[in-house]
Amino acid sequence: MSGRDYDHRRQMGGELIIPALAVCFTLYYFTTIWNSPWTAQVSAFSIGGILLLLCAAFFIKTALLLRSSEASLGLGGLVGIEDVRNGRLALVLATIGYVWLIEDLGFTLTTFLFIAISITALGHGKNVGRATATAAVMSLAGWAVFIWAFDTRFPRGWFETTMQGLMANG
Amino acid sequence: MTLKTTLNRRRFLGTTAAAAGLTLATPAILRADDDFPSRNISVYIPTAEGGGADRNFRAFASVWKDKLGTDFEPGFYPGASGRVGYELYMGKAEPDAYNLIFGNMGPEVLNWAMQAPSFNIDDYLYFGRVDTDPGALFVGAESPLQSLDQIIETAKTRPLNVGTSRMAHPASIGVLSLGEATGAEFNLIPLGGGKNTVAGAVTGEVDFSVLTSGTVISAGDAVKTLLVFGENRVGAALDDAPSMNDAFGTDLPEMLSSRAFGIHQRAVDDYPERFETLTSTFAETFEDPALLESYIAARGTPEYLNYGGVDDCAAFKAAMLELGERYKPLLTGA
Amino acid sequence: MGDTAALLATAFTDTLGYWWIIIPTIFLGLIVGGIPGFSAANTIIILLPLTLAMELQTGLVFMVTLYCAARMGAGIPAILVNIPGTAGAAATPLDGYPMTKQGRGQQALAMSFVASSIGGLLTTLVALAAMPLLARVGFYMHSVEMVVVMLFGISLIASIAAQDMLKGLIAGFFGLMIGAIGTDVVYATPRGTFGFLELYDGVPLIPALVGLFAVSEAFIIIEKRVILTAKGEAAMRNPTWHATFEGISIALKRWWHIIWTSMIGLVIGVIPGAGAAIASFVAYQQSRTYSKTPELYGTGHAEGLIAPEAANNGVTSGTLVPLLVLGIPGGATAAIMLVVLQFQGVSFGPSLFMSNPEVGYGMFMAMAVAYLLMFLTILPLSRYMCRVTTVPTIYLAPIIISFTLVGAFVPREYMFDMQLALAFGVLGYLARRTGYHVAAILIGVILGPLLETYFMRALQKSNGDIMTLFSSTLGNILWLCLVASLILPAFLEWRRKTKTEAAA
Repeated sequence: MSGRDYDHRRQMGGELIIPALAVCFTLYYFTTIWNSPWTAQVSAFSIGGILLLLCAAFFIKTALLLRSSEASLGLGGLVGIEDVRNGRLALVLATIGYVWLIEDLGFTLTTFLFIAISITALGHGKNVGRATATAAVMSLAGWAVFIWAFDTRFPRGWFETTMQGLMANG
Repeated sequence: MTLKTTLNRRRFLGTTAAAAGLTLATPAILRADDDFPSRNISVYIPTAEGGGADRNFRAFASVWKDKLGTDFEPGFYPGASGRVGYELYMGKAEPDAYNLIFGNMGPEVLNWAMQAPSFNIDDYLYFGRVDTDPGALFVGAESPLQSLDQIIETAKTRPLNVGTSRMAHPASIGVLSLGEATGAEFNLIPLGGGKNTVAGAVTGEVDFSVLTSGTVISAGDAVKTLLVFGENRVGAALDDAPSMNDAFGTDLPEMLSSRAFGIHQRAVDDYPERFETLTSTFAETFEDPALLESYIAARGTPEYLNYGGVDDCAAFKAAMLELGERYKPLLTGA
Repeated sequence: MGDTAALLATAFTDTLGYWWIIIPTIFLGLIVGGIPGFSAANTIIILLPLTLAMELQTGLVFMVTLYCAARMGAGIPAILVNIPGTAGAAATPLDGYPMTKQGRGQQALAMSFVASSIGGLLTTLVALAAMPLLARVGFYMHSVEMVVVMLFGISLIASIAAQDMLKGLIAGFFGLMIGAIGTDVVYATPRGTFGFLELYDGVPLIPALVGLFAVSEAFIIIEKRVILTAKGEAAMRNPTWHATFEGISIALKRWWHIIWTSMIGLVIGVIPGAGAAIASFVAYQQSRTYSKTPELYGTGHAEGLIAPEAANNGVTSGTLVPLLVLGIPGGATAAIMLVVLQFQGVSFGPSLFMSNPEVGYGMFMAMAVAYLLMFLTILPLSRYMCRVTTVPTIYLAPIIISFTLVGAFVPREYMFDMQLALAFGVLGYLARRTGYHVAAILIGVILGPLLETYFMRALQKSNGDIMTLFSSTLGNILWLCLVASLILPAFLEWRRKTKTEAAA
């Protein structure tokens, strides 16, 4: 998919993540219903039970493949230096920042910053002008639709308050 | 019970950010005697926008706002049978009398008896009852069971399945007490909301259903009401169904949904003048004929408008908690 | 009868007279349908002050058009960028997006528009003609029967997982388990909520959809300059009308497919509370089951796109039937329409057609006219819409992320939902990169809670007797169909193999 270097063996390390998460979650889920009435338990225990069996089957399959050296526990390039190079890491960090900051900075400003920074990072800084322009257009369009027209309860910050003031006076 | 701290800060930003900032910057003690209300009042509504509480709130607030001289800003926080809205109100809203909650004292207080919230339930009080709406028992228009006698008779031979919007609801308790009074057996089936409860009775998924009568009235002739868990104040709109006490000679309290405004106890303690302004203007609203007009325009049920003050609400809250405690094993499967 | 015909003719011409409201509403509907989080229902709520102020007929036409257009609009981003605008379009990208990547986005859009319009128009007419009959469906489809219908949808997990059954099933059951988060449907005991009150009512669908599809997709597409394959990009550089006509012709040649899958939508739509997601999953699953080339599904197969689109537009007409005949809304949008129309003084219930026939017939006519005008207005646009696929991913990905995360916020307006969407985005990314199908997870998340609700209701009604699942005739017939549709593909495969072996 990404032109990463794959080891000739099947890289099972990455494939184990989802089943591992599934097992952890199912066990946690079971703890929350242990003392509940049967109505809360019946379908969860049956679905969770099947899921645990499926995961167990997958773990056994992995173990067998490992023993016969057809697979390795490598991550198959799930995370690596490539993620820094193609800007994915930057995009992920920017996304986390977006969700984090939108409450304080308000919808429009945060959207602008997020789009501008992400495009710049993904384009390796070669397109700052276009990134800024795109971000400005998109965030203003978003403001017009979500806040001005639809009046959703989006987090409002400096920009929204200023605009509201301007529009109230104008 | 962790609520994300980030969840609700927008309440403090919002359109009144500037005004709020100024007010909050002044020490509380200096503001004790201010010209309340100097800005809009936020109202937390623990159910979805466009629902019954929304309609009810808008109709009432449109008249109250003139008495109080400020606007109300509703915020809808549905989820977990109202729990989300209350938790947010108690956890995040400033207790300064500029934040109110508009809830349903029936099912929502009953809920606390089933599972206590993360806050102390005496940390808030209801101060203004808007309406009381008794539960009703109804069948689908095409149901084979068309009379109360038929229902009781059949339910003595086999348990009947009864649709209800949720277990912890006054109407559910109504049908359980009907069973106790007559020896009939009923099996409650929670159908998740008024719409589904009506649908359940109409399509025959359940033998009959119980619901807040306001919702039954709006279902029109798709259903037929047979019994009211309280007084039938609307007559033909509920098919002239008798009250539980009249029909069975019982002496039960009304099983009511009851919408009311609530407030932090701390706001009452810290700002008694503000609280006084709220309660007195609330009472005045009931004397204004515009209220009735507003209810009729919003297609509410004006017969259910029923003023209640702090004491009425406290009595109601206590009665609900007691009722909940008594029926808890049946309503929680414990 | 003559009266009815005259009434219908008048209703039709009257509705056409509202073209000036229908056409702008179509565009509004396409936009709100296309952004996850917005739907016809919450748009009507947001615009409630406006909707309530409209006079009856205008309001009716507006709401119905918005409903149809939003349904059709939800398919557009599903096809072009792998992001279903609503849960009802969750099956659309399975074959729509592969087509786009091959540079056949324009054909795919045209096919989807044809299937949606014909499906929608046809089911509207059928619903109108057979309304009293269709309204009875809800009287027979109770919890027991619905358990089987849900299993039809869930069995799609197995079809999707065909390449690696074990991993596919793990993804599907993990989805079901995530879908089981929230309070139990009988006594409201909180389960698996990590203490978040926001999860008491279950995992909200839009954040799950946004995360699993949109956010994770955005993290993936940046590996390439554009989302198209090299060949696809060459084709997309010079879009011609020819591609649109090709799409129309592909869809029209499959007219029978459109008809029967839209009927699945109609029948599921009339069952109160079932909804478009289950209808499109069942239609896709059925379409694949009875196909001669099931192996082509998921690679950009025309039927795989037509089936869910025809079905979810069939649902649109279906949900109006119980509303008009019984006064019970079939879905969220119908419920909001009920509120608005009640406010206008219309009283719903069995007597509606006597008291307000113009509302009853008007709704269906509005729907028919909306589908007709929609077809004419948006088909020519497919040529331009698909240009979005040539936008470099470095621009596309951040825009997708910000606007879909915003969409995750909209339905409930909780910041928590944006964070949840991000968490699902990470999960979706991990799943994609390690060969687990995100659609399988999503089917679990969407259908799991529905299955549990019906299952628990059936058990509660029978005092916990599991045999109640086999206690109804219709239910048993459905069980047989389910088993048949699970066995049939394997049987057909085996027969094909033995045939080719015999020939060789």
